Amino acid sequence: MNRTVQSNGNGRDADPIVRLVGISKSFPGVRALSDVDLTVRAGEVHALTGENGSGKSTLSKIIAGLIQPDEGEIIIDGVASTIASPAEALTRGFVMISQELTLAPTLTVAENIFLGRLPRTRFGTIDWTRLEEDARVALDRLGVHVEPHALVSELSVEMRQEIEIARALSSNARLLILDEATSTLSEAATQRLMALVRQQRDAGMAILMITHRMPEIYAVSSIATVLRDGRLVATVPLPQTGEADLVRLMVGREIKDFYGKRSIAAGETVLRVTDLAAPEALLKPTCLSVRRGEIVGIAGLVGSGKAEFAMALGGAIPATGRVEVDGRPVRPGDPRHCIDAGIGYVPDDRKAAALLLVRSVQENFSLAWFDRLCRRGILNTRREKAEVGTAMHTYRVAASSAAVQISTLSGGNQQKVILGRTFVRKPKVLVLNEPTRGIDVGAKSEIYRMLQDAAEAGAAVLVVSSELPELLGICDRIAVFFEGRIEGEFDRGNASEEAIAAIAVAGAHNHQQRNTLSGAMS
Amino acid sequence: MTVTHSENQAARGRYGAPPSLLARIFQNPYAGALISLLIIGAFLTISQPVFLTWGNLMNVVKSNSVAFVLALGATYVVISGAVDLSVASATAASAMIFGFLMLTGLPAPVAIAAAIAFGALLGAINGVLISYFRISFFVVTLGTLSMFQSFALIANDGASISVFSAPGFKMINTFVNGNIGPVPVILVFDMTLLLLAGGILRYTAFGRALYAIGANAEAARLNGIDVKRVMLVVFVIAGLMAGLGSVVQVGRLTSAPAEVDPTLLLTVLAAVLIGGTAFTGGEGGVFGTMIGVLFLGVIQNGLTLSGVSSFWQGMVSGAILIMAVWLGGLRQLLRRRRQSAL
Repeated sequence: MNRTVQSNGNGRDADPIVRLVGISKSFPGVRALSDVDLTVRAGEVHALTGENGSGKSTLSKIIAGLIQPDEGEIIIDGVASTIASPAEALTRGFVMISQELTLAPTLTVAENIFLGRLPRTRFGTIDWTRLEEDARVALDRLGVHVEPHALVSELSVEMRQEIEIARALSSNARLLILDEATSTLSEAATQRLMALVRQQRDAGMAILMITHRMPEIYAVSSIATVLRDGRLVATVPLPQTGEADLVRLMVGREIKDFYGKRSIAAGETVLRVTDLAAPEALLKPTCLSVRRGEIVGIAGLVGSGKAEFAMALGGAIPATGRVEVDGRPVRPGDPRHCIDAGIGYVPDDRKAAALLLVRSVQENFSLAWFDRLCRRGILNTRREKAEVGTAMHTYRVAASSAAVQISTLSGGNQQKVILGRTFVRKPKVLVLNEPTRGIDVGAKSEIYRMLQDAAEAGAAVLVVSSELPELLGICDRIAVFFEGRIEGEFDRGNASEEAIAAIAVAGAHNHQQRNTLSGAMS
Repeated sequence: MTVTHSENQAARGRYGAPPSLLARIFQNPYAGALISLLIIGAFLTISQPVFLTWGNLMNVVKSNSVAFVLALGATYVVISGAVDLSVASATAASAMIFGFLMLTGLPAPVAIAAAIAFGALLGAINGVLISYFRISFFVVTLGTLSMFQSFALIANDGASISVFSAPGFKMINTFVNGNIGPVPVILVFDMTLLLLAGGILRYTAFGRALYAIGANAEAARLNGIDVKRVMLVVFVIAGLMAGLGSVVQVGRLTSAPAEVDPTLLLTVLAAVLIGGTAFTGGEGGVFGTMIGVLFLGVIQNGLTLSGVSSFWQGMVSGAILIMAVWLGGLRQLLRRRRQSAL
């Protein structure tokens, strides 16, 4: 292991808030961490990165008091200590915000922010007036526009995440641990969070950011620690260490052609969508065509209707309008019918809509096509095993066997199972909703290659994504959603992050206006 | 394509070698119940010489066969992620129908078929309300629990129907109490039913759909499984088993009781739970349920043999239920801990 421990990036000499030395942690059958060091300083954003399964979550859970290390020292403010429980971590000012939200949905925003420390009146009852005022202050500080008395259950996932952050910041935190906190956020919300991270950093807070998203790492961090297979690979200064080097440290090999390449030209139109709308969701009548061998990207903010467009095509939500595959009409909103017509749909929420978490890799793999293994309702399990084995090899699913529970696999491997099972039917149209959400770089690159291969084999591919670099990297054409409809379309040649973001944020009309405006001004 | 092999090896290192046979048995959700059953069995063998006699063991089998039949159906329902609270009531209602038909002098097979069909009809009522009217299974089956119970009371004005003198009773009696050599007919029947129920779960598209729905109904739906229809069929099966259970019950009691057996529902659900079929759905199987039924049966038998008052038996079986679920929870907790490390 080439261990290059750098003191700090910008020559700051702040005292470490917490130092972990030689931390090891084993779980039955797994060595999650071995001999890992980590130093987090005040006024510094420290990126903790590595592929899924590298041990970064385990390490952050140790700091948050959720688990105890087997070996190693925890030094807090220069004193050897322990963090025996989440409560103790909180009293020390260590607050973790994880991907899994921990809000109480049936309570109000204000109650959630001050849960466990609600302001009291002199009679010991809750001081509702002050609660609302305090909550408003906490929300304003974040720039979140939500009423303190709104119920959390009525808010979007994105909004909930911001409430969670507001809660953390209003609790006198001095070390904020962001565990993949942006994985459910849109581009705009991510930007807001990054701005906030910068602001808190400058105010002297220590921030440990667990992520494998490169733009975020480089946007705010001055130092990065890379883990691989539970070991410390390196702690390096940023931005002196380039992106390619960081990725190499993470995956242990160089990734060439991150997005892959394709050599086939688009053919005849396969998917023709006319006035597809989801009256109960955010989708207004929308038209789009995708040709054979083409990869079309769908961009837009959360709530723009981009996810709903994919869901309507996959039959996940009720929808109206006309959808044709190879000229044959498809009933939208009926999954069985969509599948039979040749549409393969991959939902955005793996846990909620795609995985049978308590079942085996094999059963998850065959879920999309086990009807083909049946004769008069009897399942040919021997053939299933053989075909799943072949498919696991083809789609490079790393699992000790097809019999293990799918929940033991990393996010990337789970996603490969989901994509793989959809590909088995050789769908004419692939509709992928956020196919790389929460997946490490190595697996991402493999998934891009799977999409390229599918397009090359003649599928019409639609990719909905919140990550613009990925759309720009793999798509031939990008359609941008704004307020429920497509407001702009770009070819590979003229697409840019700025142009797409401008439409996504303000729509085509405003975009043009602004262009003329800036044109006139310059 | 070159990294496949090494990646697979890395994965093997990370997730551990394939489990040994012993480890696999211990990982089974019903491992706790099986081990406890063996320990209690050993204890009873030593303390009560009568326990380990063929006659006594067959007695355990016979006296738990109603619960066993119902528990097989209940296992299906629980795997799908639902619960059927109405099975014991449906058994009582079917038993009344069966009793009446026996008294009319119908041949026994016809009466049996009719009782099963009636049970299936009751199950279909549950299923249609749950699948197509989208009412929660809890509300529906709590409602029908009460309705079916009422039906059984209304049917003969609260009186039980004795079928002892019915022309077809001899055949029913042979089915429930008879032996083939030393082996009770009902044991052969139970085992056949077990194999059939297990086989359906494991080797049919329906069984696969059931587990998929219990594990993640939305994922199942998006992959083309007709969730509503499968759920309807599941409740029909549960009702069908209630109908079949009513036949066994009438045979054992020589009459159709108008009152619902007050311990039956608890026994059935407890057996499913103890057998490792999680109420969160998507996991478990009928073999575990058999262990669960035996476990509860052996404990009751042991208490009776030891001369413990029947008043105390509910106390013991209730406590055991809680303990079994607690142990099951511990097991899941351990597993989750291990997974969260990855």
